[in-house]
Amino acid sequence: MDIAHVESILSSHVGKREDLIEVLHKIQGVYNYLPEEALWKVSETLGTPLIEVFRVANFYKAFSLQPRGKHLVTICTGTACHVRGAPKFIDELKGQLNIEPGETTSDKSFTVETVNCVGACALGPIVIMNAEYHDRMSALKLRKLIEATKEKDKETTLHGEN
Amino acid sequence: MEKINIPDTLKSFAQRKKSELEQYETVITVPSGTCCQAAGSLPVLLSLQKAVEKKKLQSKVRIRVSGCQGFCEQEPMVVIEPGGIFYGRVKPEDVKEIVEETVINKNIIDRLLYADPVSGKKVAKEEEIPFYKLQDRTILGENKFIDPCDIGEYIARGGYSAFVKVITTLSPDEVIAEVKTSGIRGRGGAGFPTWKKWEECRNAPGEIKYVICNADEGDPGAYMDRSVLEGNPHAILEGMLIGAFAVGATQGYIYVRNEYPLAVKNSRIATDQARELGLLGKNILGTGFDFDIHISRGGGAFVCGESSALMESVAGKVGEPKPKDVHATERGLFNLPTTLNNVETWANVPLIIKQGGAWFSSKGTEKSTGTKIFALTGKIKNTGLVEVPMGTTLRRIIYDIGGGPQGGAQIKAVQTGGPSGGCLPTLKFELPVDFEALSAAGSMVGSGGMVVMDDHSCMVDVAKYFLTFLQDESCGKCVPCRIGVDRMLEIITDISEGHGTMEQLDLLEEVSEAVAVGSLCGLGKTAPNPVLSTLRYFRHEYEEHIKNKRCSAGVCRELIHYSIDKEKCNGCGLCLKACPHGAVTGKKKKIHVINNELCNKCGICKEQCKFDAVILS
Amino acid sequence: MPEYVNVTIDGAKIRANKGTSVIDVALEYGICIPNLCHMKDLNPIGACRLCIVELVEGGRSKVTTSCTLEAKEGMVIFSHSPKIVETRKLIAEMLVAEAPNSRAIQDVAVRCGVTKVRFPFRNKNCVMCGRCVRACTEIWRSQSLGFVGRGKKRHVALPFHERPDFCKRCWYCVDICPMLITPCDGPMEPGNEYLCNKCESQLTMALESPDTCIQCRLGKGFGCPRGVTQE
Repeated sequence: MDIAHVESILSSHVGKREDLIEVLHKIQGVYNYLPEEALWKVSETLGTPLIEVFRVANFYKAFSLQPRGKHLVTICTGTACHVRGAPKFIDELKGQLNIEPGETTSDKSFTVETVNCVGACALGPIVIMNAEYHDRMSALKLRKLIEATKEKDKETTLHGEN
Repeated sequence: MEKINIPDTLKSFAQRKKSELEQYETVITVPSGTCCQAAGSLPVLLSLQKAVEKKKLQSKVRIRVSGCQGFCEQEPMVVIEPGGIFYGRVKPEDVKEIVEETVINKNIIDRLLYADPVSGKKVAKEEEIPFYKLQDRTILGENKFIDPCDIGEYIARGGYSAFVKVITTLSPDEVIAEVKTSGIRGRGGAGFPTWKKWEECRNAPGEIKYVICNADEGDPGAYMDRSVLEGNPHAILEGMLIGAFAVGATQGYIYVRNEYPLAVKNSRIATDQARELGLLGKNILGTGFDFDIHISRGGGAFVCGESSALMESVAGKVGEPKPKDVHATERGLFNLPTTLNNVETWANVPLIIKQGGAWFSSKGTEKSTGTKIFALTGKIKNTGLVEVPMGTTLRRIIYDIGGGPQGGAQIKAVQTGGPSGGCLPTLKFELPVDFEALSAAGSMVGSGGMVVMDDHSCMVDVAKYFLTFLQDESCGKCVPCRIGVDRMLEIITDISEGHGTMEQLDLLEEVSEAVAVGSLCGLGKTAPNPVLSTLRYFRHEYEEHIKNKRCSAGVCRELIHYSIDKEKCNGCGLCLKACPHGAVTGKKKKIHVINNELCNKCGICKEQCKFDAVILS
Repeated sequence: MPEYVNVTIDGAKIRANKGTSVIDVALEYGICIPNLCHMKDLNPIGACRLCIVELVEGGRSKVTTSCTLEAKEGMVIFSHSPKIVETRKLIAEMLVAEAPNSRAIQDVAVRCGVTKVRFPFRNKNCVMCGRCVRACTEIWRSQSLGFVGRGKKRHVALPFHERPDFCKRCWYCVDICPMLITPCDGPMEPGNEYLCNKCESQLTMALESPDTCIQCRLGKGFGCPRGVTQE
């Protein structure tokens, strides 16, 4: 982890304690999680006690203190999606990837999360794959999506790109 | 863009913009809010842009990318003016025909028209579609005419003229008086009279004050605020400008939940453009009024929709609600006087100033004035956003506008108000939707979510779902909510798994009372509502789970059983392939069998079977 | 020149120093309001909800914690209305079920009138009263402890679960923890928890005069600011 990069992100937020959440979003945007070393730097630069930075990083669901997988699969578990069968997707992903929500596959390729409503309720059930929304999903469609993603990964590694 | 330095120049700017837009012969609006994009509106948009370019029609045809228009069931859709021709469920492949036939030759493509689910008739004009016709789309209707990323369109529609009226002709007290005449009550759920909040804040001692827009909209099933903020952010900016003037604030915040990235993006663009034009910042329009707005992004916490928790979050802290012995209007954000209102409340403010408080209060009921946007979802034909005057009955919303049940089932209940609300059975559908009536019945208007459930929903499971949600989202500070909700969930889980007792039902009610009385914040205080309302109207379902260990809706996994009908199974193997738990065994063309030890009752096999051979008992 | 305010608590007209919290006013006067997270010298957070009272204003009553409520002129407060007593009793019952291995919690439950526990015991060793967290931040100012996580997962933790250099190792956090002293009969094993109730006689007194300080042994258990004079 390049501490200079973190310092440059923090440069416009020196001493601004109210910017903590935005700063954590930016850091996670770069590293795909919040490294401990970065958080020490955040505490130092913003002037926020380390325990408070740690608290905020743990409180909000968007932040992860553990490295996440390459692909983030988010299942919407809002009321409308629940009523339209979202719980089945958790079963499907258990079958496909052998992990529960909140976990990452051992090869670090997939992380599964749930989110309590993304606001696209009329088109539920919704699954978000890496910031792309997929509407009117079913267990079968989800299986196909996971398989397609795995295929694409295999292709890129075959061609030598990572 | 050049800055507008005096109020009068706004009018000429608006004129210029209007004439600019009027030079186009045809305007095609492509709604591209989050849900529209999820349905695939972007490929349609791209095809449309390419097709227009190919036919060299750029100077004659304008493509407007708008926000959500609320008729989500039909997305992706396009609306073509003049004529208001509405095409639903459009695919990129249809675009070529649309451009050739409708844009150039002015012909209507029948197969893309909306067909009314009740009469079967095709409707060509958007304004004739029953879903829209039965609504009063005061706020939502504007989305059609506006590209949220172009402040010019908002101004051309008369935007910011209400603010100009306020800053040049009205005093803060007069503004508050107009809001009082309108009778508007907070649209976020609590229904607190808006004028009262503003007046308290105005009278609070202190030089520095804040106005906040609560765009946290955490209620699952509610997305009205998202659509308004994404599709017409300037309406909120204008509302906040007026509010800031009325209470004496110089800084505003829009707190947008993290799960709404497009709303965050569009509101940032809007504030940037407003600042460029001189409508935000120092000495706005040369009047000496300073005000700016910062967009704060949430981190993923439902409790941050609670006003004191939201303010903690804006301050960069953990979103834990604070005791409300002193109102936020006296000590709120950074311990200074703060006025916090919901997105929809702010969006109504410019209209109230422009058309008058009396206009607003002429709609709705005596105590609940104006219109309200509802998110109608679930097992219903026309899912989407519905804006109606307060006091409209549930029946009208669900059956007339919503089109009735989907899939041939019977509607059993409607859940309103999100996790703070409750479930109302069909016999309560004559109730008018207003603050008092729904609260008296055991639910609440809340932020506006309305989820329709049919007899495939188990009400014990619904209560369990909401308790699980609240347990996950509780901040955990106070005992009644942290431990109480958890204990309630413990009892309901026992009931849903078939080992509940009738004594536990009594205990459940007792704990519910204590949680409602003793909790620190609104999340905890209203947490028992889903349980209490389902106990009130669907007690028989609880008793059935306890006494007969049966779940009639076929939902509670411990009480259901999947098996394969030997007569109907033809050994196609689809269920075997689909089962994520490896619980189905069988050879090709031979009858398949479900292993009950491995079966997790997810029901995916039943979904796949084309021969109706999977039995749910 | 100290300023005073006049308040009415449970019918008694009391003159109190301006800026005092309602619970302090009540306790000093001799009205018993059970509490757990309340501690002298610490900022109140209203977390345990045991000290709830009804504040009557303009014909309407509001339930709030007396530790966070500042006594203002003319306030009318009820600390033992039926609704409050019922709610407080259930909260105390839940606390005992959560952490029976604390004499303080057992005592406070008895004082609140709990005679049976209807929830499965959980035998936790923290109820998130926040005394340690507040003491670390406000008194010792080392800010090494905080509440981490949300809802059920909330727990007291050090930053990244490691004691940092700036922890002063004063161990005050341990001293003031209500879990420090186990019930009189010793620690309860998981599976063998029970409502202690040894001070049964104290319960009788407590039920007879729920709102009056009876200088009971129970107070010693939960660190009541009124202290105990008989031992």
